[in-house]
Amino acid sequence: MSDPRPADMEIEGPKRSIWRNLSLVWLVPFAALAVTLLIAWQSWAERGARIEIHFENAAGVVPEETAIRYRDVSVGFVEAVEFSGDLTSVIVSARIDNTVAESLPADAQFWVVRPEVSASGITGLSTVLSGVYIEAAFEPQQGAEATTFEGLDETPLVKPGMKGTRIVLRASDGTMLTAGAPIFHQGIEVGRIETPRLLDSGTGVIVDAFIDAPHDRRITTATRFWDTSGFDVNVGPSGINLSVGSVAALIRGGIAFDTVFSGGSPVQSRYVFDLFEDESAARDSVFSESIDNAVDLVVEFDESVRGLEAGSPVTYRGLKVGSVKALGAFIEEVQGVQRVKLRASISIDPRSLGLAPEAPQAETIAFLAEAVQQGLRARLAAQGLFSQDLMVELAEIPDAAPAALGIFDTEAPVIPSVTSDLPDVAATAEGLFQRIDNLPVEELMEQAIATLASIENLAGDEDLRSAPGAFTALMDDARGLIGGEAAQALPGELTAAVGELRGIAEDLRAADMVGKLVEALENASAATETVSAVADEFSAATGEVPDLISDLRQLTAKANAMEIDAFVAAATDLLDSADRLIDSDDTRALPGSLSEALDEVRAVLAELREGGVVENANATLASASDAAAAIEEAAESLPSLSARIERLVGQAEIVVQSYGDNSSFNRETVSALREVREAAAALSKLARAIERNPNSLLFGR
Amino acid sequence: MEDAGSAPQRVLTAKAAGLVGCTQCGRVHASGVTTCTRCGAPVSSRDGTSVQRVWAWLFAGLVVYIPANIYPMLRTTLLGKTTESTIFGGVVDLVHHGSYGVATIVFVASIIIPVAKFIAIAYLALSVERRVSLSAHKRHVLFEVVEFIGRWSMIDVFVVAILSSLVQLDFAAQINPGIAAVSFALSVAFTMISAQSFDPRLIWDADGE
Repeated sequence: MSDPRPADMEIEGPKRSIWRNLSLVWLVPFAALAVTLLIAWQSWAERGARIEIHFENAAGVVPEETAIRYRDVSVGFVEAVEFSGDLTSVIVSARIDNTVAESLPADAQFWVVRPEVSASGITGLSTVLSGVYIEAAFEPQQGAEATTFEGLDETPLVKPGMKGTRIVLRASDGTMLTAGAPIFHQGIEVGRIETPRLLDSGTGVIVDAFIDAPHDRRITTATRFWDTSGFDVNVGPSGINLSVGSVAALIRGGIAFDTVFSGGSPVQSRYVFDLFEDESAARDSVFSESIDNAVDLVVEFDESVRGLEAGSPVTYRGLKVGSVKALGAFIEEVQGVQRVKLRASISIDPRSLGLAPEAPQAETIAFLAEAVQQGLRARLAAQGLFSQDLMVELAEIPDAAPAALGIFDTEAPVIPSVTSDLPDVAATAEGLFQRIDNLPVEELMEQAIATLASIENLAGDEDLRSAPGAFTALMDDARGLIGGEAAQALPGELTAAVGELRGIAEDLRAADMVGKLVEALENASAATETVSAVADEFSAATGEVPDLISDLRQLTAKANAMEIDAFVAAATDLLDSADRLIDSDDTRALPGSLSEALDEVRAVLAELREGGVVENANATLASASDAAAAIEEAAESLPSLSARIERLVGQAEIVVQSYGDNSSFNRETVSALREVREAAAALSKLARAIERNPNSLLFGR
Repeated sequence: MEDAGSAPQRVLTAKAAGLVGCTQCGRVHASGVTTCTRCGAPVSSRDGTSVQRVWAWLFAGLVVYIPANIYPMLRTTLLGKTTESTIFGGVVDLVHHGSYGVATIVFVASIIIPVAKFIAIAYLALSVERRVSLSAHKRHVLFEVVEFIGRWSMIDVFVVAILSSLVQLDFAAQINPGIAAVSFALSVAFTMISAQSFDPRLIWDADGE
């Protein structure tokens, strides 16, 4: 190995030009520069337009963090928060995307969205974690590049671009009105109210409200708004009625509306409506609507007007036609005596009386004056059955003392009044209770107990149990008697006789009614004698009736003489055997047969009494002898009837004797016999009537 | 080589001896060989474009270092709240939170070291072009330090990469890299390439004259 020796020198040529020698690596920094510049330019271009929003305060707004949102999309960021020069407001500077900034009108609204907990819900919950943001609302307007805005302190009720109608509500007080309270229509939330504010006059509050489209079409001049806040308790004849709106409405208040009559016209924006206390007031308001054309009247009362107050209704046939405006008293001097009279001013809506809405007052007054002539009077009336509230009622009183509508120049026309008969419910109730109090209740109870004890004794009696059978037999007999051919035939024969009379009468009438009437009357005296002869026979026949009555009296006397003590002694076991007694078929059959028998008796009597006789009173006297003959023939049946009745009474007597102690059936029997006796009495009355006044039979009077 | 600093004696370089050494495997070839016979790497006595490439990569690194500092490095979304922090902003935040240690590390790794690297590489490149004079030893030390420390600048990028991949808790917390992270990674890469492009043999040449 030799020592290393230097190699031959390598000779290089002259350095080439710097441009020829340029490495491709230089592309890298230039590319990097280009990319960097591109990024820089892009971020500068996308930086957005700077806008300024003035706020009262900037709670929660953080530079570089707080977003500006439009339709819940972030469109920019707050860049800086600083004070205005005079420290009176906060200027929030923000960068907004160029696309948005291009069409940002000067009336765009900005407000800070914060979490908010209210009765109707929690809003802005997302801002709890993400921090507040600024919400923007505007109607895009191409080319309007506004840069300075006034921020709102709170979320606006109506955001630009929302469709609907803005109205104004007027209320007497704003107790139940809170900003954002819902407006309902048929139970659906269709709008909201804003913060109420006092009227300049201080006499009420007004509040802006917004009804969303398309529900705002429901708003017309016929629409009425009322308060649905809280709950409503009604106690009426149908019970207690508790109505509660939604919970939100309960807490925050709510308003409802409805169209209460047809024919309203659409309203302009910011139309002013009155807010009523409740639904019925809203609906009633229709009647007092044209109060600008109301006619004022005065009513003077002598009596107390306690319960009448300003606002009380004035009704006419139950329809509200006006209201009481004021009450007062004045002194009237009549014949030197001073008297205090009470005066109520009422106003009447001419429209509710059926007059034209634009009718001049004079026309309405003339109409009322005419009505007063016809008897229209004012009087006080209670508003309800138990109500102490009064109202003025315009009533037509037919027999009222004549009066006229008092028309004076200085004051409203005076409508005459009458004293009303107001029921004093309290006094009546007191009297009722007093009478109840005075009733001998304890004595009554003692007697009732004693009576029950007697009944108990009576019911246990063996004879009583056998009584129904005997009585049914008795009743069967009675039915047999009444259903007997003789009894049935009697009215028939009478009818036949009268029919003949009628036939003759008709013949007569057909011939010459008036002419022959005189002749007929001449014949009347002759006929009367004949009739009285007949009547003698008849009274002889009915002469047996008094015997019958004396028999009945005897029977009753016997019955009365029965030993009550025995009944009382027997009554102890009555209740024990009462069930058995009632269960027995005889007992059940008893009322049926009894009533059938009595019905037949009654029917017979009715036929006897009326039986066509009266109706055929136009019979002429020309056929009186025929009639008398027929009556005689009919009367001949009466003695046999009486004889049968007598027999019946005899049977009844036997029956009664067979269970002599039974007072209950005795009573029934007595009443049955009383019917029979009435029948006999009727018979005798008939006979007597014919005897006394034969014409009545003939002329039907 | 063992005592290069204290003995300013002349050394015989391969170039002077007419030889060429492979920079990859160290085999010495005769002059004129262009490809290493052992490892196949290109062989040249001196890289004429070396300084040019150093400058080019250095500029590229500088260019991308600017957005790396301006744009946000981290985009942290904590419970819906997004915060963006630049490198320096992050350091300031850390100082505000009292984490001085971490702040120092981030500050050194992300700002001091890259900036120092730019200066060092520019200085070396200038020095071999004889615009400034520096002792050969110091130049060597400087070169070694730059080569060694350059990779540590990536610590920031690693932190961002790890955080971004680990902290993805949807709504609760989310960390995403910003533009600056890419820029910074590029910047570090470019400066490393720049340092790599430097032919250390030029230092010897500069010494020799």
